[in-house]
Amino acid sequence: MKNKRAFGNWEIICALLTVISTQIFLNFPRLMAETAGTAGWLLIIYVSVIVFILFAIISKLYEKFEGMDILDISEYIAGNIGRVLVGTILLAYLVFIISVVLREFGEDLKIITLRLSPISFVMFFFLAGMIISAFFGPEAIIRIGVLTVPVTYVAFVIILVGVLQYSDISRIMPLLGFGPKSIFIGGFPRISIYSGLILLFIFTPFIKSHKDFKKIGYISIGLSAINLTVSTLVFLLVFQYPTATENFLPMFQLAWLINYGRFFQRVESFFALLWISSALHYLSIGLFLILYVFKKTYKVEYYKPLIMPFAVILFTASLFPKNLVEAIELETKIFRNVAWVVVFGLPILLLLIGNAVRKSPVKGGEKNEKR
Amino acid sequence: MRKGNWLFKTIGIALLALFAATLLAGCYDSREIDDMAYVVSLGLDKGKTNALRLTIQIAIPVATGAGSSGNEGGGGGEGSDSSFITTIETPTLYSGLNMANNYISKQLNMSHAKVIVISEEIAREGVQRYVNAIMRGREFRGNMFVLVSKGKAEEFIKETKPKFEVNPAKYFELNLMSYRYTGFIANTQLINFYLQEKCTCSQAVAILGGVNRFQSAEDFDLNGSTYLEKGKPFPMEGDFIAGEVPRIGMIKSEFMGLAVFDGDKMVGELDGEEANYYLMLTGKYENSFFTVPDPLVKDYFVVLSLKTSRPPERKVTMSGDIPHISAKVKLEADILSIQSGKNYEDPKNVHLLEAATEEYIRNSMQKLLYKTSKELKTDIFGFGKSIKGTFLTWQDWIDFNWLDKYKNATFDVSVDFKIRRPGLMIRSTPIYSSEGMMYD
Repeated sequence: MKNKRAFGNWEIICALLTVISTQIFLNFPRLMAETAGTAGWLLIIYVSVIVFILFAIISKLYEKFEGMDILDISEYIAGNIGRVLVGTILLAYLVFIISVVLREFGEDLKIITLRLSPISFVMFFFLAGMIISAFFGPEAIIRIGVLTVPVTYVAFVIILVGVLQYSDISRIMPLLGFGPKSIFIGGFPRISIYSGLILLFIFTPFIKSHKDFKKIGYISIGLSAINLTVSTLVFLLVFQYPTATENFLPMFQLAWLINYGRFFQRVESFFALLWISSALHYLSIGLFLILYVFKKTYKVEYYKPLIMPFAVILFTASLFPKNLVEAIELETKIFRNVAWVVVFGLPILLLLIGNAVRKSPVKGGEKNEKR
Repeated sequence: MRKGNWLFKTIGIALLALFAATLLAGCYDSREIDDMAYVVSLGLDKGKTNALRLTIQIAIPVATGAGSSGNEGGGGGEGSDSSFITTIETPTLYSGLNMANNYISKQLNMSHAKVIVISEEIAREGVQRYVNAIMRGREFRGNMFVLVSKGKAEEFIKETKPKFEVNPAKYFELNLMSYRYTGFIANTQLINFYLQEKCTCSQAVAILGGVNRFQSAEDFDLNGSTYLEKGKPFPMEGDFIAGEVPRIGMIKSEFMGLAVFDGDKMVGELDGEEANYYLMLTGKYENSFFTVPDPLVKDYFVVLSLKTSRPPERKVTMSGDIPHISAKVKLEADILSIQSGKNYEDPKNVHLLEAATEEYIRNSMQKLLYKTSKELKTDIFGFGKSIKGTFLTWQDWIDFNWLDKYKNATFDVSVDFKIRRPGLMIRSTPIYSSEGMMYD
């Protein structure tokens, strides 16, 4: 029996915006300042153009595999071995980033507001939210984004507009920062900032058609490019390089500055609430992706029994880094430099092989989910 | 069965929400507002027994809210009923707060701190070790003010006993923003100070504060005025630095002028008038009363309500290693007073007053600019911003080393000043006495 479930384009776009743009609330603007200096915002534009091109290639190659995710394609190419191999790579990738981000969000919350609470106690609440979301299933997880994303956008715009009084155009000079070489060559691995696009290649069966797949991809990349560029630009306009590289939580530190008269100030508390909801959405999507990939890779019939074991694994893995700085290093120095291999390299490779093997379109996407 | 599942789920979620709400609100980090002691100002002096003498002014919320005259603690005296002051010697800022927490019944909280007062002695040695600690702290806010006190910060805080404001935080908040209508100080919020201090194209300033030295009007003198060193025959309203203004009454502490920094070290001072020019040249001047000598009648003044009409136009060009800095300041004013009674409102005469004012401001600005470049060797005006954009890469800019080149800069200032309105009088008519017409 067919069990085809499809989400609306806007729902998937909201989920993609969450998984790509939530890094803004972590350390993204600072990372760009570290990579390209005053040209951090230019680097994002360059990276976004590359990602547009890569996505155009991927979506062209995807034409013959409408409704199939990369696990389906790997199975089509190399059978069970291919699927298990690719699935295991994806699982390792997802467990790594979700556990690190879980730790980072927990630590950030500790620094901002829950100073005395143990990190495990703080993370437990994120984990509880992730577990509940996973039990509710993909509809709840994906569709809640339609509510959280617009609200987060409003907060985001308030912060950016609110700090403009502190901005100074000279702070993004010299325009080329560390120079063209560091932007255009050294900056290439930074396409990993779009690592959240992996959601699109895993959730392909939930998308109605290939036309929608393309539309969702382009809109998500475009909106994310705007979010990432504007946030970094405003951050650099307010905190000049190299002082910008000192800031641990760039967006929080921007919100901390908002101050209009004696009455409109201290809005970061409100911001923290939205930031946490965005983080929870991100982590919930992450846990569900892990469960979905595991279920599909190892042909497990139901994913619900996997929720608690994976929650425990993520919780334990998130406590591996000795401290926050180590967790940040894992995310920024390792993950954000190599994630592109999995997110762009792997799909392109599989699709190239798939296209070479098969000349006529293959239909997939049936039985995409069973709880 | 389905109905049972739904019920089970609902009860489970409700229980979890209750569990989360209870734990998040009650564990580890729960703090009652009433358990906190809110710091209003912090003073940093060099210690006698330790590296730092930390003075903490703490609000008494009950007195602040009710305007009560009940006095608690050691601050004592008039106007300080809504706060008390404690001083402690300590190795570092945070260890001092910790020590204070040991004998204050409530836990100190910095989230409402309005000002950090640094003694001149510490400021001249370098403030980085303290400013860094404050910026790293979660509770301190970027919009608190940085102030350098002539003399002891402890004394400055103790002598800050406002009459109008029951709430000392409001006093600081309002008074330290008075630069918008006096021009004698500047907006030196912590975030601005910190960013300027670390900037490669600009340097920091802080408000200069001090305790007024005069006990009665009979004691007034001009020993502390800067008018002589500026070559003036008499002092104008801004020719003073904090602590030296001939005044008595209201409050002993006062703000006047700016402390000038090179990196994190204070290297000089600007008086109140120079602070006005600093604001004009950086585009932060709003408005103030401004007195200029009467261009036609000696020893008489014209008083203007001066304001910025356009942001300043600033340009930096290089001749070899010598920066040439040109700045055009655009101002406009309403006439408030013409002591001589000369008819400067008349369109035929107005240009006389305009030209004289332009020349007066231009000369004063030139002197100030050369003072900062040749004497103080620090670009507090941020002229480096104007040339930074001509470099393509960060390394080129750093190699250029603007802050070092500034000391060789030459300046060309022009002032475009226009009288817009004559106040409520459109012309000055003569006064007649038994001797005939006076003040024609």
